[in-house]
Amino acid sequence: MKKRILPIATLAIASIALAGCSNGSGNSNGGGSGEIDTLTIQAPYLSTSAPKADNAVETALEEEIGTKLDITWVPNASYDDKTNITLAGDNVPHVMVVQGKSPGFVKNAEAGAFWELTDYLADYPNLATTLPEVQEASSINGKVYGIFRARDTMRTSVMVRADWLKNVGLEMPKTTEDLFEVAKAFTEKDPDGNGKDDTYGLIIPSWPGAIGTNSPYDVIETWYGAGNRYTERDGEIIPNFDTDEWLDAVDFEKSLIDGGYVNPDFATFDSAKWNEPFLNGKGGIIIDVHSRAASLMNLLKDIEPDNWQNMVDFTGNLVGPDGEMHALPTTGYSGFITIPKAQVRTEEQLRQVLSILNEMNSPEAGKILNNGLEGETYTLDGDLAVAVDDAPEDLKNAVASLSQLGMNVTGFQGYLPKQATEVEQAAYDKRKEIEASDYEKAVVDPAAPYVSDTYVAKGAQIDLIVSDARLKYLAGQISKDDLTSEIARWHAEGGDAVIAELNELAAADK
Amino acid sequence: MINARAADQAGATEALVVPKKKRRRNAGGGHFNRFKWLYLLLLPGVLYFLTFRYGPMFGAVIAFKDYVPFLGIGGSPWVGFAHFTDFFASPDFLRLLANTLILAFLNLVIAFPLTIIIALLLNELRLSIVKRTVQTLIYIPHFLSWTVVASLTYLIFALDAGPLFHLINGILGTDINFLTDPDWFRAVIMLQTIWKGTGWGTIIFLAALASVDQEQYEAAIIDGAGRWSRVWHITLPSIMPTIVVMLILKMGDVLDTGFEQIFLMTNSLNRDTADVFDTFVYFLGITQGSYSYSTAVGLFKAVVGVVLIFGANWLSRRFNQTGIF
Repeated sequence: MKKRILPIATLAIASIALAGCSNGSGNSNGGGSGEIDTLTIQAPYLSTSAPKADNAVETALEEEIGTKLDITWVPNASYDDKTNITLAGDNVPHVMVVQGKSPGFVKNAEAGAFWELTDYLADYPNLATTLPEVQEASSINGKVYGIFRARDTMRTSVMVRADWLKNVGLEMPKTTEDLFEVAKAFTEKDPDGNGKDDTYGLIIPSWPGAIGTNSPYDVIETWYGAGNRYTERDGEIIPNFDTDEWLDAVDFEKSLIDGGYVNPDFATFDSAKWNEPFLNGKGGIIIDVHSRAASLMNLLKDIEPDNWQNMVDFTGNLVGPDGEMHALPTTGYSGFITIPKAQVRTEEQLRQVLSILNEMNSPEAGKILNNGLEGETYTLDGDLAVAVDDAPEDLKNAVASLSQLGMNVTGFQGYLPKQATEVEQAAYDKRKEIEASDYEKAVVDPAAPYVSDTYVAKGAQIDLIVSDARLKYLAGQISKDDLTSEIARWHAEGGDAVIAELNELAAADK
Repeated sequence: MINARAADQAGATEALVVPKKKRRRNAGGGHFNRFKWLYLLLLPGVLYFLTFRYGPMFGAVIAFKDYVPFLGIGGSPWVGFAHFTDFFASPDFLRLLANTLILAFLNLVIAFPLTIIIALLLNELRLSIVKRTVQTLIYIPHFLSWTVVASLTYLIFALDAGPLFHLINGILGTDINFLTDPDWFRAVIMLQTIWKGTGWGTIIFLAALASVDQEQYEAAIIDGAGRWSRVWHITLPSIMPTIVVMLILKMGDVLDTGFEQIFLMTNSLNRDTADVFDTFVYFLGITQGSYSYSTAVGLFKAVVGVVLIFGANWLSRRFNQTGIF
């Protein structure tokens, strides 16, 4: 019997092998050293369905830049996996969106998967950035492997229930001390006037990221002057949790929690429901980003149609206990557009791809990428774009997805959106003002451009030691001595090597 | 009677064996020709296992390499057992091993016997309508996904708002936060496992119980045996082979502590007791991109699983002369 099975098994294996091979052969485009007539791109989409090939918006873009595009859209949730699979396969596109300096990307880049663009970008007017510090931060040890996709550089915001503030007779907080007073009053002074003790101050959700991931804790620690993830002391880069300011900030957080001024389930509260306590009048303060204030306002429109205008107030960063503002900026970018070497083999081809990308970041193409087609997906009101609500779903998807290809390294290339109501427009203008003035006080992460090998291998793992210990200390599970010994454990399990490597890289860069 | 059954079986096997004469006449194609439809039926199964079970196994080779996606599996450099030695030397190893083994042990000594006990209890029910209703009701949780079970758990144990949070703490006069207290993590996990899996797990035992010879019970009743002694001396010995087989099969995936379930219940405050091999592999491999290292950890887990299954089989053959292979 056994012998008879063998031929069948062989047949089966052979057929699998054949099926496997056929995947690799459909690759007629590009390759070699000829001119590129169709640019292949891989990009993520965040809408519910991928935009159709050759939709009107894409066609308009192709006409504008003078090159045909062939875009492979990949769902955002599985984008990182797909990126790795694509790079390991034969069908690598000319241009690929990469979403951040993940360990996988760093390893691929260091193995030579992508063109290094550091010395090329300056030759292209639309790609030569006006935000060199962001480009530096997006690099791997000073080597630029992609054209970064610019985002707001300052987003940190404190939003407060304005009606509650009025009821307890307080002003918008300007300092961390004010924040404590407001949170205390929101908990103890019955801000909703229902006679019951059913409110608290600050709403904090469980945070999926470790340290330095813009959690409310990280924000407060930066305000206290601990730095932004890393900080420079006496010429040395050290992690912010090695500073006294950091410990003071954590104690401040603990005093808020111990006083009962924070939701008690801060360790498990689902961050997807972050808005809810604010909207149903349980909690009154959120520390997050400006766009949340806008969406809170929008949500309250339905819940409180008569009073929503007076319910949300917001401000930017708060002044720390030393009397100075230490503002927490964003990284300023969200991934980058890379050019893998697999298809773009020669420097001429690289130049050609770069000049196409240069066209794509022109003011004309930028409007198509960011706003779509005038008259179909938006109309102009002065300099502001008013979205056409009843535009076909196809076109809306196309615009939302194509904006993923926007680089905006010389400033935003589209029209800014017009807000739905005057109140919201005023809030939007105020937000832009705060963003600009806060950015002047921004604390930059001195280690942002540097990628340490030990961090790539172990960073995510050891960072959890500190963020878990911080939360355990806040929850009262461990003492302050335990917290500092956990920080010592971070150092022992690889942190010291990370710091040494970062300082070495920084020294080599100067 | 046993002899008669054995004779039956022998006859059945004989019928499947190709008669000698015929086999000699067309050696080669004959056998295949005769059973071609059976082979055709087998083909999808073989293909499935080759494609989805055996094929991917070659990927495990990256545990011995420093895998970089761009270089591919073939092009990445070999590193030998470096990832394994790293893992065994790391402080995570003992913690993960302990957490995984404790959960596995709890599963074996609590969840597994419980399915047998529930099956026995159901078997003793006299009214078949009650029996069937109860059976159906306890099957239902099996069809809920772990995501739903986790959400329900969060709801009923939620701090200050969950009904069970108030009930249990009210009775005990305590202030336990079940969702974040590391000491309560395993209790909550076991509660979920039992609630979701016990009913479904009884199916196979109920089937075994149905085939127990009724005449033996009648004889025992005439001899004056009570309910307890009937269960102890007839029912349990009759389903023992089933129990042993199920136990050996369970040993194989005893280290699969249920990734989804644990992942969903983990948070910063209980991570020390919650982390098991599966969540660690996910965390390192998927979120951190250490494909090689996490493959090494996964491979180690698989090897332990194989050792356990062979060990259990060997033990059971020694004591019982029954095993599954």
